[in-house]
Amino acid sequence: MNRVCTEHLTPGMILAKKVIGPDKGVVLEPGAAMTQEHIEALRTLGVSAVFVRFPAHMEPQREIERQVQEHVRNFFIFVDPDHEAFVELYRIAVQRSLKAFRDGWIIPCEEVLHAKNVEHLSDLFFKDAGEPGDIVRHEVGLASFPDIYFKIREVLDNPKSSAQDVARVVNTDVGFSAKLLKLVNSPFFGFSTTIDSVARAVSLVGVKEISTLALGISTINYFQNIPPELMDMRTFWRHSLRCAVFAKLLAAKKNLPSDRFFTAGLLHDVGRLVIFKNMPYASVEALLYARSDMVPLVEAETAVLGYNHTDVSKLLLEAWKFPAVLIDIIAHHHAPEIAHAREEAGIIQFADIMANVAEISAGGLFALPGMAQEDWKLLGLMPRELTLLINLHDEHFEEITSVLL
Amino acid sequence: MEPLKPASLTLRKTPPISTREFAELRRFIYDLVGIDIPERRKYLLENRLGPRILQLGLRNYSEYLMMLHHGPDKNTELKYFFTKITTNETSFFRDTKQLDVFETHVLKNVLQECEAAGNKSLHIWSAGCSSGEEPYTLGIMLHEILRMSIIGWKIQITANDLSPDMIAKAQAGLYGEYALRTTPKDVVDRYFIKETQGYKIHPKVQKLVSLGLINLNDKLAVKRVPKSHIIFCRNVIIYFDDAVKQKLISNFYDNLLPGGYLVLGHSETIHKLSRVFQPLIKPGGIVYRKST
Repeated sequence: MNRVCTEHLTPGMILAKKVIGPDKGVVLEPGAAMTQEHIEALRTLGVSAVFVRFPAHMEPQREIERQVQEHVRNFFIFVDPDHEAFVELYRIAVQRSLKAFRDGWIIPCEEVLHAKNVEHLSDLFFKDAGEPGDIVRHEVGLASFPDIYFKIREVLDNPKSSAQDVARVVNTDVGFSAKLLKLVNSPFFGFSTTIDSVARAVSLVGVKEISTLALGISTINYFQNIPPELMDMRTFWRHSLRCAVFAKLLAAKKNLPSDRFFTAGLLHDVGRLVIFKNMPYASVEALLYARSDMVPLVEAETAVLGYNHTDVSKLLLEAWKFPAVLIDIIAHHHAPEIAHAREEAGIIQFADIMANVAEISAGGLFALPGMAQEDWKLLGLMPRELTLLINLHDEHFEEITSVLL
Repeated sequence: MEPLKPASLTLRKTPPISTREFAELRRFIYDLVGIDIPERRKYLLENRLGPRILQLGLRNYSEYLMMLHHGPDKNTELKYFFTKITTNETSFFRDTKQLDVFETHVLKNVLQECEAAGNKSLHIWSAGCSSGEEPYTLGIMLHEILRMSIIGWKIQITANDLSPDMIAKAQAGLYGEYALRTTPKDVVDRYFIKETQGYKIHPKVQKLVSLGLINLNDKLAVKRVPKSHIIFCRNVIIYFDDAVKQKLISNFYDNLLPGGYLVLGHSETIHKLSRVFQPLIKPGGIVYRKST
């Protein structure tokens, strides 16, 4: 007996348990081979899944494979089906989902993927009455940003700052310095010796790198009070951390300063938090639109709000005086072609896509955004290298999460 | 049983759409329904329409366009085509705060004004009614306000949508739990009949609603809609570009009786598009009024 979502039912499957309607009448008796009409009736009724047996001609393994492929394919609806990277990512996602299924993962039904209701929320501005700048001004006005952040920024802004200066600032917050040390000591950061002090970390990793990493970590603590109905903060930051892990791996392959990319990945969607916080109702519209139309969330934001999270990220990070290089690659991760550093922005774009792929069998909700051929080519990756990347991510992700979340 | 061979997995299942075909299809859709499909949605369009092309035994999108233009069954196919390029997500009593604003500040006033003028007739137009949740919600609201006195009224709610699938669903008036997730339980008990196949809207509500297909981009079709006291058009205009939005808003203006109201979706405003309406800004929503 298998539990199958209504959208994956095919005629011929045999109902294993009866289905009851609102008036307690029996909609369908068990034992009958289902017809197209039966399936349509279940859809109308809003039944999300039923228990079935497969008829003799349906091989259970093949049937599961079909359902998994159908499910995974939905996430690729927005991308170029001839793009070598996406073809490879599709294969990876199907394999991962099949493995997850064998380990007990249940293919989520369409209904489960629908966003929740947030009737009690209201927006700060009506659409068109508020530009990204207004939301950011409001947000920055409220800000009680962690003190440590501003101290780090002062150090970062001063060209004469030394490793000692950074260490001194970071050490003023015990919890924070412990986090930073745990992070750089994790196998993912790959130092052969144990780093037992912040001063040592700074001398090994560099003043700039440690400082930007510190900026990223302090931002995680800043955003609270996001309505949990929209997206719980853990889910949000887990996605961001996956992106950070992929960004660091991709940057390291290209011999770019990888810790900076870790931070950029960590903060790539930060504007979305500001939108959630200030425009919760419009955010729901966007979430519903993204789900019902199966378009990437960034696309739905543009349709509903007239701008998207990258517009907000840009203004927010500018107001917080983040380093310009970071702002450039974060603000353009959905449009590397207009970034100053196109290739670097492309790294974050692809890291975000990989993070989405990793999530398909782990609670992912939204269609993958696309990526232009040119930007993929700039990465200089071969499709066959992607499996290794995702394996490295799997190896380190939970550990990094336990340090930072 | 052989394991699944990864190399056999491909994303491409349907014929690719060429640049020229995409441009032609984009033009066709825009001219017909006023929805512009930007370049970045090319593959989305391909994914939505591709299976249909295979089903019809066609080789490419040019042949499909030819069929939509000149085919003997072009009207039937166009209906199918519409369902593929639009989507719908609604429920009963969605956006309750906005509906409260509407009930308190609009509907009750309009009813009073009609009554004072000795003309107990009311026309509401639900333009973009999807599978019927919105017009039926309005019908329920009228029953709740007027109670028994509703018999003395001549009420029509004209409900239109571009998608024939949606109109068929609205006509059936049968809904699942999901559509009723925001509806108060006592309302469900009073206005829906529990059936084995789902919750059926009560005939006393259904008879207020007159359903039909409409293409809002078709000025003549819009002109045929009776003059309205209130127009509901929620979460429809986000699909259109500014030029089409403007045209639509001005058609709505023409359709409204003096002092009539336009209600848009929660995150939609028209202040950049039109100054002819007077916005009434209330906590929970904006409604637009035509001058008396």
